[in-house]
Amino acid sequence: MGIQRDRVRFNVGGKIFETSATTLANAGRDSMFGSMLDENWNLQSRETDEYFIDRNPACFSVLLDLLRTGELHIPAKIPEKLIYREALYYGLLDNVRTAKWGQFDGNRLTLAGSITGQAPGDGTAIRAGPLGGCCVAHGSMVHVYDWMLEEHSPIYLDYQRINDVGWIDSENIVVSACERLGRGDGGMGLFSSSTGDLRYKFQVSHENQVKSFTAGAMSFSSDYRIFASCKGRSNEYGIGVWDQVTGKQSDFFYESPDWSLGDADRLQWLQNSNCLLVATLFPRKDNCYISLLDFRVKRMVWSWSDIGAPITVHEKRVRDAIAMEETNSICLVNEYEDLGFMDLRRTGGGVKWSSRRRLMKGKMPDEPCYPKLALHGGQLFSSMNDSISVFCGSDWVLTSRLRRSYGGSICDFSIGGDRLFALHSEENVFDIWETPPPPLI
Amino acid sequence: MSTPKRRNFQIEAFKHRVVVDPNYAEKTWKILEHAIDEIYNHNASGLSFEELYRNAYNMVLHKFGEKLYSGLVTTMTSHLKDLSKSIEAAQGVLFLEELNRKWADHNKALQMIRDILMYMDRTFIPSTHKTPVHELGLNLWRDSIIHFGKIQIRLRIILLELVQSERTGEVINRGLMRNIIKMLMDLGSSVYQEDFEKYFLEVSAHFYSAESQQFIECCDCGDYLKKAERRLNEEMERVSHYLDVRSEAKITNVVEKEMIANHMQRLVHMENSGLVNMLVDDKYEDLGRMYSLFRRVPDGLSTIKEVMISHIRETGKQLVTDPERLRDPVDFVQRLLDEKDKHDKIISLAFNNDKTFQNALNSSFEYFINLNPRSPEFISLFVDDKLRKDLKGVSEEDVEIILDKVMMLFRYLQEKDIFEKYYKQHLAKRLLSGKTVSDDAERSLIVKLKTECGYQFTSKLEGMFTDMKTSQDTMQGFYASQVAETGDSPTLAVQVLTTGSWPTQPSAPCNLPAEILGVCEKFRTYYLGTHTGRRLSWQTNMGTADLKATFGKGQKHELNVSTYQMCVLMLFNNADRLSYKEIEQATEIPPSDLKRCLQSLACVKGKNVLRKEPMSKDIGEGDAFFFNDKFASKFYKVKIGTVVAQKESEPEKQETRQRVEEDRKPQIEAAIVRIMKSRRTLDHNNLVSEVTKLLQSRFLANPVIIKKRIESLIEREFLERDSVDRKMYRYLA
Repeated sequence: MGIQRDRVRFNVGGKIFETSATTLANAGRDSMFGSMLDENWNLQSRETDEYFIDRNPACFSVLLDLLRTGELHIPAKIPEKLIYREALYYGLLDNVRTAKWGQFDGNRLTLAGSITGQAPGDGTAIRAGPLGGCCVAHGSMVHVYDWMLEEHSPIYLDYQRINDVGWIDSENIVVSACERLGRGDGGMGLFSSSTGDLRYKFQVSHENQVKSFTAGAMSFSSDYRIFASCKGRSNEYGIGVWDQVTGKQSDFFYESPDWSLGDADRLQWLQNSNCLLVATLFPRKDNCYISLLDFRVKRMVWSWSDIGAPITVHEKRVRDAIAMEETNSICLVNEYEDLGFMDLRRTGGGVKWSSRRRLMKGKMPDEPCYPKLALHGGQLFSSMNDSISVFCGSDWVLTSRLRRSYGGSICDFSIGGDRLFALHSEENVFDIWETPPPPLI
Repeated sequence: MSTPKRRNFQIEAFKHRVVVDPNYAEKTWKILEHAIDEIYNHNASGLSFEELYRNAYNMVLHKFGEKLYSGLVTTMTSHLKDLSKSIEAAQGVLFLEELNRKWADHNKALQMIRDILMYMDRTFIPSTHKTPVHELGLNLWRDSIIHFGKIQIRLRIILLELVQSERTGEVINRGLMRNIIKMLMDLGSSVYQEDFEKYFLEVSAHFYSAESQQFIECCDCGDYLKKAERRLNEEMERVSHYLDVRSEAKITNVVEKEMIANHMQRLVHMENSGLVNMLVDDKYEDLGRMYSLFRRVPDGLSTIKEVMISHIRETGKQLVTDPERLRDPVDFVQRLLDEKDKHDKIISLAFNNDKTFQNALNSSFEYFINLNPRSPEFISLFVDDKLRKDLKGVSEEDVEIILDKVMMLFRYLQEKDIFEKYYKQHLAKRLLSGKTVSDDAERSLIVKLKTECGYQFTSKLEGMFTDMKTSQDTMQGFYASQVAETGDSPTLAVQVLTTGSWPTQPSAPCNLPAEILGVCEKFRTYYLGTHTGRRLSWQTNMGTADLKATFGKGQKHELNVSTYQMCVLMLFNNADRLSYKEIEQATEIPPSDLKRCLQSLACVKGKNVLRKEPMSKDIGEGDAFFFNDKFASKFYKVKIGTVVAQKESEPEKQETRQRVEEDRKPQIEAAIVRIMKSRRTLDHNNLVSEVTKLLQSRFLANPVIIKKRIESLIEREFLERDSVDRKMYRYLA
């Protein structure tokens, strides 16, 4: 008896499965099997000797295998969605998700799929969610996809143009939008990722008066703050700060007359140095302004601009910038995908460019997309035209290149939830790149 | 905001058969409702989990989630009504037990219901932003049981009564108590705080306020503290057994406030058992308890500290001003050290070596030691005593310990320069008479003084050591050059002292006996021959001599005497009787010294190598002295000490003081000039305070004297007064 107790017999849709309670325990308490084996319910098993489950046996077999091995193998004849639906029934969806793809590594990425949406192209931004989902901003809409790449109700902003989006957590998305003349709208809102409902609207007040504003680039910090580049109606330009918990505005950093903050292309919160990187770049402005703000002392603690740089470096217009805290540097990229580096520890230093132009010779498409940068797990990613380059090591050596032929150039990409999403500019297509689960041996 | 078409999208993925039976939802819900009833009736064994799970799934799938959820709320609420009735009906002790039992039942039922409705919990509830099943079950329990009129009040009263009876020594069912409190915490920290903790703290405050009143009337301080400590520990133990850990700070706060903070003054000043008595009787345990308890309340430690300071100051003041004590400087200093040791020990054993207490102790010592102007002198005398005799044969470490203690007292002194003066005198005496116990100990103390006060302070003292060393070499050189001529002339040992380094008083040289004079002249010739540009003068008041004397019956003795005494005794080589006047004339020793010297030769029993007429204790100008033929001693060597006042006599003290004052003048002036040179202009008050600060490590400068020095500097045109603001001084380069 003692040995038999570990054995569990299921009749799933007429097919008999035998497994052990130990295997089923891998499903966790918050699953159907967890409840079923709980002592509260265990009484009846002695009478019938087997559990009857009125579900699809083929899918059960796949999921049982997942519980046994931790690996997910879906036979070609079973649609993935069917597995997902059954997993949802048993409460095993999280187990499926974690088994579906491996830990992110820029050098081992494979294309897992491409999604074509209904929007007319020219996407603004794509953002990866924390659990493997993503959202894509087009004009005044945000399309939200979960990790199964099912589209949820979109976020719709009544013709206001969206500037940036971001995930606060798997349930909440913040959208920043342009203000329309005379309408007093725009600004930033918090939306539910599952229903697309507006949950909260962030406000800016100047001198105790609530003002309408245009919100641009955003960044989130791990201590629950939201930063956004803001343009007010009466030249109230600067960086607004909100508390994610209360939703209240907690700070505002006004830009000085000779500098640009309110129209930034990129904000990046630097956790270790407790500073915010603000980068305003060509062609939004004629010149490029990069600065670090320390909100504790209300001061710009580091800054760089190409104002007054010699004409000969005209070609080296900075198109994107990203701070790398591990090496105390900022990485820049120009329109030819040359990488440049600056030291964060001293102000007034120059840019050290490492030219890769020769590699790009003769490859410029008619409608180029200018480079964007991302940093993930010590790997640097740079998108240029229709491909994404991966750089590794202390010297940032090019180690991999991700490319797909259709959809045109990549206008934006994002890494999160152990996936990389790349949005194409000509057609409304985005690619999903995943790291496969580790090899068997 | 979304189009209806999009909303369907999610459902599309889960396309299912169309429900035909219009009563489908009602039927399915009945099955589930029945199951919930059976679960609450402890009759779940007949239920099929899989079937119920599937039914709940189907209801959600077919968009009857809302019906399922509202049905759940209604059913659960009605079951909770039943539970509340049976809890209400329970009487007395059974009430809590029934509540606990029903709570356990409800929890189990809730878990099983959640198991069945898991699919709804996972899909329907998040998308409609409803309360999850488990939380819903807790909320309903809270609203229908815990916050239900009579139960709420009864529960609170019973819990508080149980705590009260445990406080009065009864044993209660802590396990039950823990379960009930845990239930309140499970319902949310606000439930625990609002329904229990708030009242618990209130009642506790009442209880301890009354109890402390009662204790303080009948207990002495030590007992009271013991009781307070026990109560505090009891409350902490209570928290660890059945309350929320976050209550610990709150309840200890109540006990601290009621039992300690409110009675602090009374406890500290309690007659016959308060803090002062504890300090006097070295009650380390009680003191330690007081420290650890008082530390918990605001101003607790400062209260202890203040009383301790005033006590130490008071006893210290008595110690240093008691004329009885002033007779024996060594004992005086020893008492200070004992007092310090006593309190150091209290601070280390009972007060956790608290820095602020150490500082308080130091400032108290500084206060009372300086109440007695003779403290510097006494401390130096203490050192002198130690270095002369007490330290003989003591191990190096012990010597260090004693010296460190002396340094500690030294640090308290405000008039360090006076100590230096005395120290110099005493050191000179030790060195010249060769009485010092250990050269290492002497040097060690000098090093300590140097680290404490700087090079300047000890340079002269070090000079004295150098002189001693060079003198030795000089003497060797002298005798080496005199080999041929050493007959039976007396052996001379000269110590050449640098003027200024030594506390020499200019004294009229006495007439040395001819035998000595010869050797002295030889030495002078030798010394001036080897060194140019120097002047030697004899300090006859400081030397010693060994004389071989033969008394009646041929008894031979070696007499160890001072130079003056030698001069006197040598006169008796040629005469048996000499009058005071004759001696004074022959030797030209200053009268006061001569009197003292004769006194020690003629009046001290056992050492009276001279006889005096008339026989009396004091020396008169008309006295006559005889060679005492009958002198006898069992020792071959006889040391005839001078009758010296170890302590300074009143006029000497005045003199020393005056000399110190005189020495301070240039130091004060130097300080003024140094400050004014850097500041250029400064007003009077600031100048005085800066000068005081600058000189602090040496002495406490008197403002009146500083003012005099400033005036003198103005006269000599180092400074001038500002023509507009008379209080401002200006530095004249």
